[in-house]
Amino acid sequence: MNKTIESGIKDVELTTKSLIKNSLVAIVIAISIFYTVIYPIEFGQDPLGTGKILGLPVLQAATKVETEPMNKSMYEFQKDSVDIIIPAKSGLEYKFKLTQFSNLTYKWTSEIPLYFDFHGEPKGDTTGYFESYTIATSNKMEGSMTVPFEGVHGWYWKNTSDEEVLVTLNTQGNYEVVGFVH
Amino acid sequence: MILTKIFKQVFVFLAIITLLFSCSELFAHGVDENTKKFLIGNDGVAIFPYLYIGAKHMVTGYDHLLFILGVIFFLYRGKDILIYVSLFTLGHSITLLSGVLADIQMNAYLIDAVIGFSIIYKGFDNLGGFKKLMGYQPNTKLAVLIFGLFHGFGLATKIQEFEIAENGLISNLVAFNIGVEIGQVLALGLVMILLAYIRKSPVFNNAAVITNTALMSAGLMLMLFQLTSYAFQ
Repeated sequence: MNKTIESGIKDVELTTKSLIKNSLVAIVIAISIFYTVIYPIEFGQDPLGTGKILGLPVLQAATKVETEPMNKSMYEFQKDSVDIIIPAKSGLEYKFKLTQFSNLTYKWTSEIPLYFDFHGEPKGDTTGYFESYTIATSNKMEGSMTVPFEGVHGWYWKNTSDEEVLVTLNTQGNYEVVGFVH
Repeated sequence: MILTKIFKQVFVFLAIITLLFSCSELFAHGVDENTKKFLIGNDGVAIFPYLYIGAKHMVTGYDHLLFILGVIFFLYRGKDILIYVSLFTLGHSITLLSGVLADIQMNAYLIDAVIGFSIIYKGFDNLGGFKKLMGYQPNTKLAVLIFGLFHGFGLATKIQEFEIAENGLISNLVAFNIGVEIGQVLALGLVMILLAYIRKSPVFNNAAVITNTALMSAGLMLMLFQLTSYAFQ
């Protein structure tokens, strides 16, 4: 039944009929599993109603919770990297708009240690209130922040030296970049 | 009889598929959260972590594993296994390294769809499909090399998603690549033990037909999954 060819591969000798039959079986099974199970679970689409019958939407909801533990944000998930130059003897702010309980993952480094204030201002506030998350002096900071309220959140850096300082900021999360605030 | 036979085949088939996809985290086959944090946060040479990430990616990367399974399915001489696996390694190393270094951006879903296709191709090839239907056998070594190139692009695309720091990039990439080979050897060892075991069995021919049909099916599912992801992105 087996035949050895020059490369050392022994292959199964199938009749053309069973070869076609096996290929069709493979195609039919793949397509039916895809449309009855994978499509509902992975893409939340249920064209044949099988997801409902099999109770799959629950699974889908569970997966959703797992992958998006935070409130559904109105902002798209994105990743950014920005070089911020803080002029000599001055300070500036760089900020992001986030909805309540969404997550900002960040990492920044600067050439020399800088005084900074990582803080947020609630949306619609006119009193100038802000909440500081971290105030310190460092040449780098890394972490993930779940913001307590909707509004703009970001860093203020102060450069007391006589030369401009480069800060490289990498972020990811569901946010909208506000950018420089003076 | 024929009905029980079909029933049995379908059962084994479903068992294999379920095993493959039982973990939805595996299904996503990206890079998990902790690894992601490390990749984004790391700056500088970090040989061991990259070795580990590479090996882990391969061992948990069922798409690469299914293809490897197809490639060595009918190889029983150590020399042949070495030749084919080396060709695969050569192919994916070339594109992994050059893809990242030359900053070639490709759509991850489309690359993964081609990887799915490589599994269908190998399953069909193993069943003797090309010889039977087209009357000629495409060069199996060349096919492994070419698909190896695509698998490497897949790895490169995944690594590039993380904008790894330039600092120590080459050392880290080489470490990742070596990790991939370690993972491949580990997985290969397991597959070879399993194959050696069933090769002696009187039902090997049947098992071979079912497994390669299942490979085609799994490959097609992966392809559908990736193409749908592409359409939805």
